[in-house]
Amino acid sequence: MTSQAIAERSMPKNTAPQKYSGKPILTMTDVRGGYGDADILHGVNMQVTEQQIVVIVGPNGAGKSTAMKAIFGLLKVRGGSILVNGTDIAGWKPNRIVQHGVCYVPQVNNIFREMTIHENLEMGAFLRKGDISASLERVYTLFPDLKERRNALAGNLSGGQRQMVAMGRALMLDPSLLLLDEPTAGLSPKYMEQIFEITRNLRDAGLSILLVEQHAKQALAFADKGYVLAAGSNRHEGTGQELLADREVAEMFLGG
Amino acid sequence: MPFMEFVNFYLMPGIVLGSIYALGAVGITLVFGILRFAHLAHGDLATLGAFAALGVVTIFGVSPWVALPVAMVACAFMAIGIDKLFYDYLSERPKIIVVMSSLGIALMLRAVVQVVWGVDTETYTRGIVRPDDYWGIRIRDREIYTIIAMFLIVGVLWAFLQKTKWGKAMRAMSDNPDLALLSGVDNRKITMLTWGIVGVLCAASGFFLGINTELKPLMGWTMLLPMFAAAILGGVGRVEGAVIGGLIVGIAEETSVLFIPGEYKAAMAFAILLLILLVRPTGLLKGKVL
Repeated sequence: MTSQAIAERSMPKNTAPQKYSGKPILTMTDVRGGYGDADILHGVNMQVTEQQIVVIVGPNGAGKSTAMKAIFGLLKVRGGSILVNGTDIAGWKPNRIVQHGVCYVPQVNNIFREMTIHENLEMGAFLRKGDISASLERVYTLFPDLKERRNALAGNLSGGQRQMVAMGRALMLDPSLLLLDEPTAGLSPKYMEQIFEITRNLRDAGLSILLVEQHAKQALAFADKGYVLAAGSNRHEGTGQELLADREVAEMFLGG
Repeated sequence: MPFMEFVNFYLMPGIVLGSIYALGAVGITLVFGILRFAHLAHGDLATLGAFAALGVVTIFGVSPWVALPVAMVACAFMAIGIDKLFYDYLSERPKIIVVMSSLGIALMLRAVVQVVWGVDTETYTRGIVRPDDYWGIRIRDREIYTIIAMFLIVGVLWAFLQKTKWGKAMRAMSDNPDLALLSGVDNRKITMLTWGIVGVLCAASGFFLGINTELKPLMGWTMLLPMFAAAILGGVGRVEGAVIGGLIVGIAEETSVLFIPGEYKAAMAFAILLLILLVRPTGLLKGKVL
């Protein structure tokens, strides 16, 4: 059986009306690919519409981060399409994708350690011409901690503050789609809650966010939509609440 | 030994030599930090810069100081051209292949110098210049200019790296290349910019070695080890570290003759390199671990 067929079979029969049914920002259709010759993704389908938080959950090695990297042109996409705002960006170089309004926060190595917080944010706006002070002010309003320490080296910050720098850097280009790869990995519960709250605020301000998250229960609780990936293809999808209520999803992927 | 004798015959020459090493070491540290390989053609690029200035002097009959900026620009384009023809072509290959190819470039550059200018020793100006006396410190004008020029060139570079958009992008590329690419920094432009700067620095170090001593086809090659020692001593990727490292290596070489026979002067750089790699591989200022 092809992975496409598996994906189709496991689709929920009646898709519940979505909270937002705005225009699609990201549409991935049957995306296949991997880092080397072997495919890791065997047909991933996903959609993020305007002003949505979409969470990807699944066991380790399911291809969650890989799916995100596929969007950002960091692996070889061998099949399928990745539409962002109606344009297929599969195979584009990262700097072109950034200009197309997609920003990505990697899970690790996501800051410039030997540069100040302020310089990190400036690098985020590298592609912008002209005045960036409004964007800087917006990021500092979202992350007041950063403003106080703007001239501190980013490498000297705590884990939570580093994550804020990383997110702030990505927000400097005013993207229409933000990709967050496990932003709360290794953070204390306090910082985790803070990051989640900022994520919700960003959505409410109009941003679309695709989030890979280990803390699946907490993330699904506020997600507009969730996808469960397993072995490189779609296993379940639904609103956050639906997935939380689904017995199979709970038992298999959310630890009972 | 009287203190002034130490200053005049060992310390000042050490600072002058150290300034020349520093100019080269800053270039090495930039290539190391941003392009991530040991550039073995660095010394011979400096030789080419020195001889390019000589060419301008002999053809146009101008002062060597006028020839210096011309040689800097020529060397910058030379470095960008070498990158386009060779290093860029190999950029996807393992770094060791790029390093070995830079050794080949070194031999090619030296051969070009030998074909065009011959194998004899040359000088920019004939005649002996006596040092002037400044409150007991005996120093030649050209030596003062060497030290001032080094601090000026490195100062401008430092301000460029700290204050300008493209300078920050170069630091970002050295700090976290993947994230720099994700931020939309164009790898090719940064690479070309880096080579342009490296060419300027190479021409300057070759020129100042030439004006303080003589021009020989092997002049740059023999500077390669001290320059690498200086870059690693200062901390790879650290511009200010390369200056400190250059001055230390230069002073150590010149003062070493107080303790060991002069023939072993060149071994000082090697000794410093070994010592720093054993004791503190990240260098004096914390640099990248190789």
